[in-house]
Amino acid sequence: MVTAATAPTPTAMDARRLGQIERRDTLAARNSCLAPGEDIAVRIRRWDEATRQAAYQDFKVPYQKWMRVLDVLNWIAENEATDLAYRWFCGSKMCGTCAVRINGREVLACWEAAEPVMTIEPLRNLPVIRDLVVDRAPYEKKIASFEPWIERREPYPSFPEPLNHKQMKDASKALDCISCMCCYSTCPVIGLGNLTDFAGPAPLVQLAQTALDPRNDPDKIKRSLALTGIFHCVSCYKCEEVCPASIPIVGRIIEPLKAKAVLLNPGMAKHSSALRDIVAARGWVEPSALVLRVQGLRVLARMPRAIRLLVRGKINPLKTLFGIRTAAAEAARRILRTGVAK
Amino acid sequence: MKFAYYPGCSARSTCAELNAATHLVAAKLGLELLQLESATCTGARELRAIDPPGFLTLNVRILALAESHGLPLMTICNTCTLNVLDAHAAFASDRELAAAINVKLAEEGLHYSGRTRISHFLWVLHENIGEQRLRELVVNPLTNMTIAAFYGCHITRPPSQYGFVDSRNNIALEKLAEVLGCQPIDYSGRNECCGFHTAAHDERVAIKLTGQHIQAAKTGGAQAMVTPCPLCHTILDGFQREIEKDVGHKLGMPILHLPQLVGLALGLSPDELNVDRHMVPVGALKAYAANAPKEPHR
Repeated sequence: MVTAATAPTPTAMDARRLGQIERRDTLAARNSCLAPGEDIAVRIRRWDEATRQAAYQDFKVPYQKWMRVLDVLNWIAENEATDLAYRWFCGSKMCGTCAVRINGREVLACWEAAEPVMTIEPLRNLPVIRDLVVDRAPYEKKIASFEPWIERREPYPSFPEPLNHKQMKDASKALDCISCMCCYSTCPVIGLGNLTDFAGPAPLVQLAQTALDPRNDPDKIKRSLALTGIFHCVSCYKCEEVCPASIPIVGRIIEPLKAKAVLLNPGMAKHSSALRDIVAARGWVEPSALVLRVQGLRVLARMPRAIRLLVRGKINPLKTLFGIRTAAAEAARRILRTGVAK
Repeated sequence: MKFAYYPGCSARSTCAELNAATHLVAAKLGLELLQLESATCTGARELRAIDPPGFLTLNVRILALAESHGLPLMTICNTCTLNVLDAHAAFASDRELAAAINVKLAEEGLHYSGRTRISHFLWVLHENIGEQRLRELVVNPLTNMTIAAFYGCHITRPPSQYGFVDSRNNIALEKLAEVLGCQPIDYSGRNECCGFHTAAHDERVAIKLTGQHIQAAKTGGAQAMVTPCPLCHTILDGFQREIEKDVGHKLGMPILHLPQLVGLALGLSPDELNVDRHMVPVGALKAYAANAPKEPHR
């Protein structure tokens, strides 16, 4: 039976992907945008020892078939700038040391095809040691503070210990991480510096390797999670976009860690729990009610703003305080099965 | 063309002008909207993290409601769109889970068989109305209006859902703006994050994140920004005074909901589109509506 829901749309175009063809946004297109002998215009952000400042230096590199960004850097280091500092080791997406930014996007130099025009910069959000080499110490220090190992209080139930794939499904995704820090560089919240205590995507992935392992001691996980500031994640998915290991960082790492935090450290997750209670009671969210629940008396400090919102009709105090019985409330209550306070 | 229509929480409260504008514009476009009144919240970002079974059931229920009417689902909020898309994907990939959700839905006589097509209003404009028909419907081309498109995250990321290698390559909003007669500008904030999802407990992140994007749009010469997401609108418009305080100078950047921009080009007046309900005045944009024919909307 063909229903309206399955009937074909008038045009065959997919509006979700508009731009992918025009902007050559496919792997095949990216891998074939240069022909042997063509010049690659490369601009590298370098550390100038004389002026003690960063400056851009331009290079012209002859394209050779299958040239990667790493090959371009090697060519420059061999022919034009023998003092160019950059890191790499395995050349095959394993060691995670060659990450750089190409035209504003984090990539592994060893795994990205050269583009006709490239601005190559070091990763963001970490101190630059020289040229394209960043200091990994802040990242490693953060991970160490999470005590990233498994602790056991109880004796093992048996040996070998029963453990199935389902129990390990998220932790095993985290184990794909090669610590390249692409996600750490692209994260907008990390980009805000010390504004929040958010640990950032890469350290959270490292934490998830043991925190999402069912064998780990809950008290230890609780201690580590308290240091993560995880509820400052804005869910922008930029980390997932750049991850060379294709780890679903938001969906399979940060969200399961948040679920752990709600169970182990409910105080961290006041916002999430309040939203859940409001949906369960009202069917949908009255944003001002949520803000009132989460911020409590702190909203008094923002009265001028509340008044401005009130003037424009953006908030309705009656709805905020008393809610309204929406047509969706009954279904939400049944599905979410929570306490039905207001 | 008829759609089951899901406005989401924001468009029914703080951004009520978006819901009203969507209904008016849909009528102009010949889209019939059946608003799903008993649909719940999709759970924002919170429910999917802390209660995955509850999240999936609420979202599949919305898809089942649309399916019960035999209609595709139209959304106008990025986060809601990604939530129903993700729930649909989870439902379609796990038979056991699908069966369990349907047991829950059966309590109120609902069933989902996985057939509902999900489409954001932006995609409906491109796919179901089409560029050619839209050009015919434009009675008030917004010639020379410089527009900065602000996509928001959940309509263009994650790559597992939308397939972009680099989400900056999404041009759906710019293409649409051109059809309406506008001049889309290029600027660095197009595909950046507004920070809405942490704003209820700590608005500093959203305020710090967005100042640079609004500034970049202004420097690029934009007269207004347009967004397909009411959550982005809430930050860019609702928090703009706080953002101005943070960047230390006036921005005064009008922020339009996508249906409002389309509505202006289709001949609806700024008053009909409730632009005065925004926190940042759209005064200068009203000149673009001056030449619009004064025909009453349906």
